[in-house]
Amino acid sequence: MVVTNTIIDVLLQPLGIYVLALGAGFLIPLFYRVRRGSGVLVFFAALAAMAVIAGLNLLAIINGAPAIDIETAGIKPPFSINLRFGLLEGGFVLAVNTVALLGAWHYLPRLKQQAASLLLYLILVMGINGMVMTRDLFNLFIFIEITSIATYALIGMGRSDNVLAAGFKYVMATSIASAFFLLGTIFLYYQTGTLNIDDIIMNRDLIEGPIGLIATLFLLTSLLVELKPYPANGWGLDVYETADSGIASLISVGVSAGVFFALYKLLPLMDNYLTSIALIGGLTFLISNLIGLKQENTKRLLGYSSIGQMGLLTLAVALLKQTDADAHLPLIVGGLFVNHLFAKAGLFWLAGIVNRKCIGEWSSGVKRSEVLLLGVLITALVGLPPFPGFWAKWELVMLLAGNELFGWIALILIGSLLEAAYLFRWFSYARQQDSEQPDDAPAEASFSFMQIMPVTIAALLLFITGYGMAKTMHVASPEVFLPLVAGFAMWLIDRSHGRLKNLPMLAAVAVGGYLLTNDLEGINRLFSYLLVGGGILVSIAAMYRNDNRRGFYPLLTVLLLSLATLLRAQTSLEFFFSWELMTLSSYLLVTLGRNGVKPALTYLLFSLASAYFILAGFSVAYGATGSLLLADLGNSGDSVAIIFSLLAAGFIIKMGGFGVHIWLPGAYAESDDDFTAILSAVVSKAGIFGLFIIAAHLGVRSDIGLDPGYVLGWIGILTATFGALMAVFQEDIKRLVAYSSMGQLGYIVTGMALMSHLGWVSAMYITVNHFLFKGILFLSIAGVILRTNERLMYKMGGLIKNMPFTFTFVMIAIIAMSGVPPLSGYGGKWMLFNALMEKQWYWITAFAFFSSAVAFLYMFRLLQTVFLGQRKLEHAEIREAPMILLLPQMVMIVGIMVISAYPKLLIDPLSAAIDPWIANTLVWQGTALHAHFGHWNAPMIMAVVAGVFMIPLILLSLFALSMKIQKVEQFNIVYAAERPRRPEETHFAYKFFAHYDRAIGFTVRPRATAFWNSVVEWSHSAGASLRIFYNGNGQTYALFVIMYFVGLFLFNGGLAL
Amino acid sequence: MNMLTDFPISLIVLCSGLCLILLGLWGMLTQRNLIRIIIGFSLMDTGIHMVMVSIGYVTGGTAPIINDAVAMNEAVNRVVDPVPSALVLTAIVIGLGVTAVMLSFAVRIHKTRKTLMIDKLTESKW
Amino acid sequence: MIIEDFDFWLGKAGYFSLTLLIVTFYGLLVGAFIDRTIAKVQGRIGIPYRQPFINILKNFFKRTAISHGVMFYLGPVFRIAGGIGTLAFIPVLYGSEMFSNFSMAGDLFLVIYFMFFGQLGMALGAGESGHPYAAIGIARGLSQMTAYEVPFVLAVISIVIQYDTLSITQIVAAQQGGWQNWTVVTNWVATLAAMLAFLGMMGYSPFDIFLAPQEIPIGPPTEFHSAYLGLMQLNRALFGATKLVLFMNLFFGGATSWPELMIKTLLIYMVAIVVGVAFPRFRVDQGIRFFFKIPTLIGIMSIVYVQMMLVA
Repeated sequence: MVVTNTIIDVLLQPLGIYVLALGAGFLIPLFYRVRRGSGVLVFFAALAAMAVIAGLNLLAIINGAPAIDIETAGIKPPFSINLRFGLLEGGFVLAVNTVALLGAWHYLPRLKQQAASLLLYLILVMGINGMVMTRDLFNLFIFIEITSIATYALIGMGRSDNVLAAGFKYVMATSIASAFFLLGTIFLYYQTGTLNIDDIIMNRDLIEGPIGLIATLFLLTSLLVELKPYPANGWGLDVYETADSGIASLISVGVSAGVFFALYKLLPLMDNYLTSIALIGGLTFLISNLIGLKQENTKRLLGYSSIGQMGLLTLAVALLKQTDADAHLPLIVGGLFVNHLFAKAGLFWLAGIVNRKCIGEWSSGVKRSEVLLLGVLITALVGLPPFPGFWAKWELVMLLAGNELFGWIALILIGSLLEAAYLFRWFSYARQQDSEQPDDAPAEASFSFMQIMPVTIAALLLFITGYGMAKTMHVASPEVFLPLVAGFAMWLIDRSHGRLKNLPMLAAVAVGGYLLTNDLEGINRLFSYLLVGGGILVSIAAMYRNDNRRGFYPLLTVLLLSLATLLRAQTSLEFFFSWELMTLSSYLLVTLGRNGVKPALTYLLFSLASAYFILAGFSVAYGATGSLLLADLGNSGDSVAIIFSLLAAGFIIKMGGFGVHIWLPGAYAESDDDFTAILSAVVSKAGIFGLFIIAAHLGVRSDIGLDPGYVLGWIGILTATFGALMAVFQEDIKRLVAYSSMGQLGYIVTGMALMSHLGWVSAMYITVNHFLFKGILFLSIAGVILRTNERLMYKMGGLIKNMPFTFTFVMIAIIAMSGVPPLSGYGGKWMLFNALMEKQWYWITAFAFFSSAVAFLYMFRLLQTVFLGQRKLEHAEIREAPMILLLPQMVMIVGIMVISAYPKLLIDPLSAAIDPWIANTLVWQGTALHAHFGHWNAPMIMAVVAGVFMIPLILLSLFALSMKIQKVEQFNIVYAAERPRRPEETHFAYKFFAHYDRAIGFTVRPRATAFWNSVVEWSHSAGASLRIFYNGNGQTYALFVIMYFVGLFLFNGGLAL
Repeated sequence: MNMLTDFPISLIVLCSGLCLILLGLWGMLTQRNLIRIIIGFSLMDTGIHMVMVSIGYVTGGTAPIINDAVAMNEAVNRVVDPVPSALVLTAIVIGLGVTAVMLSFAVRIHKTRKTLMIDKLTESKW
Repeated sequence: MIIEDFDFWLGKAGYFSLTLLIVTFYGLLVGAFIDRTIAKVQGRIGIPYRQPFINILKNFFKRTAISHGVMFYLGPVFRIAGGIGTLAFIPVLYGSEMFSNFSMAGDLFLVIYFMFFGQLGMALGAGESGHPYAAIGIARGLSQMTAYEVPFVLAVISIVIQYDTLSITQIVAAQQGGWQNWTVVTNWVATLAAMLAFLGMMGYSPFDIFLAPQEIPIGPPTEFHSAYLGLMQLNRALFGATKLVLFMNLFFGGATSWPELMIKTLLIYMVAIVVGVAFPRFRVDQGIRFFFKIPTLIGIMSIVYVQMMLVA
């Protein structure tokens, strides 16, 4: 008994990993021969035990136990090989062993065919463990080689046609790299007289002269090459493409992890080459993601992403060393590593299960669960919340900013954006099929359930580690995660049927929103009414659809609640977290639209670009102030202008500013009709809130206030003008209103840019007004589309007869939007123009006038071509929009009317909330508001207009009484002495403003779209020209490996020798 | 320690080892036939082994066994460094393993593709 | 609030009714005068002065009417409410409390925006008639409007800078004390830009394509008849005169008495008529481009001019 206990104790030591691996290695063939199943059992027992041992020991260390040093052969190092199991080692080993266990599960159908493959797999995992733990240089070589040979053999077992050729190239390249390693090891031994890594590091002064340089560079080259740097990585890509997914995943995350850790161990020797290492990592990250854009092959795409991620890790570790930020290693490198480990392994397995050669082929026959997992894993890989990669990237960027390494930040963000582009492109293909696909057949489902289990566990582990990291960074408050939790709860009931799902969602958002926002004050509180309250109001309308709408309600919950968390964010991290969550959930909601997937991708990419601008802005602020508090943004000294510009750029992109608006019409038009209302009326306000944050914290306090503000003012007004102009020429009703949204947001931007009390009040006033009229418009349009099944306006007409309420609501909304007195739009325009004149921005004022005049064109067109004119014969029988759609609109109509008659009710709280930032300059005389230039007495205007409207109405009615008014049929008009028979002949609607197009249409030819298309084109051709090195020839690849050494040698002073 | 004047034998081994490495690399880079490439690898591997051995060698040294012939106190100068030799043994085994794997790849490639020319094996690229 | 100030409202409403009557009457009369003038130029005799009054009365007392729907019915109401309202927000005679109307409710900006009220409502009414000519006419009219607004607004900004106010009363006040203080003298650039815009605003040739009397018979009002047409004819007189009053106030020193107002507005009107009878019609896109060229340039210059003037 005692003996057993001792054995168990010994086995539970880290060394037990090797004992078990080797022991099982002997046992497996035996058992396998007896009975195949028992061999597999031993195999799994060993793998699981390896993970458990790593886990137990890591737990002990986390709980305060010292790092474990394992000595062998009963002799002290340096005369014997020793291993170390510390915090980092433990983390790596545990992660690798876990993923190896899951990978074995995934790969089992192939593995269990031969005892040898089970054995090799085990040896491979043990080799990686050894690479991580050993402290002996030559032993490290041995473990590298053990791993390599096992890898070679497993690659060779692959099924695809080209796997042998790819494997041979892999062997060629890595054997040359190994040769370098061996040479480096022996030369180091020659100079230092020891093989113990700690001893070598201690005696690194002895490493000198040409031999020292060459020895170090040999080691460095070897390890870097094993990490597959650009361009010496074609051999790796070929293997990723052709090897079985189980092996490719292990190479991508396991072997690379071991090599990466080896590099980390030897970094103290490479102090002089840290810049080279960072550059290599950075360029590899950037370039492989650029080339990835053009990749169609699923697994090769994953290969590019793997290489890029390893580059990012290399970059991170080198820069951390360079800035002496070892304390951040676990969070940053650990986070990035774990993120990549689970996400990439999961993706490889998923690619293996789905088994489609090209990403384009994912668009048919992929199951819902698989698409869901793909989404989760890609989201994690790209570094979006709540996954570890998000937190790690944030820490990395902030750390770099603290050291003013802004160039690196730019590189990381650009690379990340490129990676997101191709990964989400893949996801888009997979998303496209959902609608036409029936739910999985039960029999097949249970089979696929077992198959996707490892992938699912990887995804779950990502959630868990993500939450763990959030806890470490002290942002894991229940408030921050409430949107996700609520969304998850909604997801649990997502299978239930129909519109009633809306009720729990509304309840969740109401309760959650109240909890999140009830302690807010000032402008944030006002925004919370708009975003949460308004969000709920508009969401009520979603009940007009009774179909299943899988995913809609959970995502909407996340979206609306993340808006609430956005408002309560105190730090830039919380803000950014909520922002990304909002971006992600709104992106997914857009993909739910019938043809939403493609425009959603554009939307996502622009949103991510926006987010990265914001991140860059926050990082500069952190670099300048050392604080993450939003309230400290203003203390950034000289950096205020650049922070303001970066953040403003981010928010402008998100709001669809002039030139970066091209995502907007597509995303608005192709979303579900009720979601478009939320997108325009509610979600767009998040950008305004962001603008307000920076205007309040940066714009007012800085001395330079005017210049970036003036630029912002111009951007806003150009957005307004061109938004209006483009809206004029749309045939699609949703695109028309989408462009109109863009234009209206432009006024708000200009108002914010004014940095004056009146300017901000006007911006906020227009914001509220925009919520009201855009909510009404989009919901009305949803009703019209529901009834007519058309989106092209010229295919409608005359609907006033069938949908009088909808028409009335649209008309009121349009008058409120146009700025015609007496409705609420006039107040916004009046304040904006007065504020503009006070600021002496005359040219902007002129543009604002012009754009609001142009707006009349599209507003009239909307009313005329949809509701007036001749009704189509097939629309004769359609009914009014459903009550549930009209109800929220009625509430908003009441809102418009109240604000129109008593704007003071709105302006007073706005003014009070702005007062702490800019002192109140509004002068009230009774109900009249006085500004420097003009005056505005809304109740009086309302009364006069009501009066002058009543007089002729009564007059006409009196005459009408004496007349015989006859209601006439359709077509009963004086029409060139002919009676038209078809509405199509008479309804003037198509190319309604053709003459306007002839006059000034040239200003709105899609130049921005052309520009962004060519940006895409350029990046693709850049990617194409950068990948010419991958010609498929193993000898070329081998040459690159050698050239890599030569290059490093020359770059690091080889010429001076 | 000055290798050039003091240890001519090891210098010869070192130089020929380095030559073999270069020769092997040249073979791997220029020969189209897989078997020749593998031979190139073998040459390179052998060259490395020779370099390793040469580094541990002490001219006129004796076997690293502490007994009557070598006194404890002068062992450091008189004895050939045993570590590189030990390492070489391991390295040879590993090299053998790699060579074997490469050859098996070559055999199977020939079986499936009926060719041994590496420039015919460029299906996966870009 | 409205109840408390009942006396105020009653008085104001009474005075305004008087203004309304005078301006409408004057508008109809001027309309006849202009029609006669044009006829003379074209070698015709033209209508008698009573003709517009007769037309309106005739239309109001027609016995039958048809309706295309509620919005069709409300269109003319919107239209004339726009006309009356616009007048209501303009102080007609300077220094006269009686004829300052409801100008304390809002400023120049209110007037400019309220001018759209009638046009929009009328457009909707015409739209419901289902007649394509109405829609075509409105589409053209709106497009042209966006174009002539540009020089007009630039001129307005210029004079707002000049007088440092948006209040029409104060703008008129600043021009008192002789013709040398009128905007047309002190800021002739802005006046020039505004008068070019005025040509478009009045809808005479060369900018009358949206009515297009030959090709698309009378444009937006095509389907309107009987009392509807009567209301619209009333409005045409009223609204035309209102626009003249606005221009007079902004650029020609305003008026302190009704005769001064009538003479000045008639002269302003004649500008549009002289140009109208002398020039052929623009196609709508040509008209739009016209306004975006020289008049806009003059408008821009007017702002530069006024800024230089203020500095000097």
